[in-house]
Amino acid sequence: MSDVVELARKPAVLEVPATLGALGEIAAFVLRLAARAGLGTGATYRIRLAVDELATNIVMHGYRGGEGRITVLGRSGPDGVRIVIEDTAPAFDPVAGRLPPAPGVPPERRRVGGLGIHLALTSVDAYTYARRDGRNISTLTVKAEGTDACPPRP
Amino acid sequence: MPLSVSLSIEGDTTVIELTGELDAKTAPDFHQTIEKAAGHGTSTVEIRMAGVGYMASAGLRSLVFAQQKVADHVTIKVVGAIEPVSRTIRTAGLDRSILLADD
Repeated sequence: MSDVVELARKPAVLEVPATLGALGEIAAFVLRLAARAGLGTGATYRIRLAVDELATNIVMHGYRGGEGRITVLGRSGPDGVRIVIEDTAPAFDPVAGRLPPAPGVPPERRRVGGLGIHLALTSVDAYTYARRDGRNISTLTVKAEGTDACPPRP
Repeated sequence: MPLSVSLSIEGDTTVIELTGELDAKTAPDFHQTIEKAAGHGTSTVEIRMAGVGYMASAGLRSLVFAQQKVADHVTIKVVGAIEPVSRTIRTAGLDRSILLADD
């Protein structure tokens, strides 16, 4: 992907406690990077949504309300934004934990858990997960070109 | 990010008006209001979202909660949601049971 998206060499870094109260700070960080890359409104919304959902998942299910930190690294360039989210919660691969919506299920029996991850993964142009040195590492990329197009309905 | 939530009754419709951002931190306020709205027993619950600039899956969870709380014959209507918000609702398949209206 690095051959497709040209990004700044040195990433901007944000480290926050893994709490719901830190979501606003993470969003502000992502919005600044999106603005620096000149992303359109739709692409900006999508990268923010994806990072927000993954960070929320780390707070609620990764650390399970316990103490922890989330590190967010971001690079922006003329071609888009790439965000890396790291945490030291137990190993969790969002691709495996994704729960696509089940529209046929009546509302009273519908589960929404896991849908956040589905939203995150369908909002970005590229996503990878790795577990390294006791850390979950998610890498999300949103390209500047054509990113305002509505992605296909999953 | 702040969220303001107001609740009123207009005829046979309970109106919830939201302004701000709906994420995991702010959604509990919306949740509480839904609980009150469900108790009103009107035939429609109208959720005005034109002032919501951002909604995460926590907001979807609230909408599912609303469906679960109201009686079967009650219509839930989401009005004025911006395109990315209504897309999020459609992605979850909730547009099959919640009425999405422009205004």
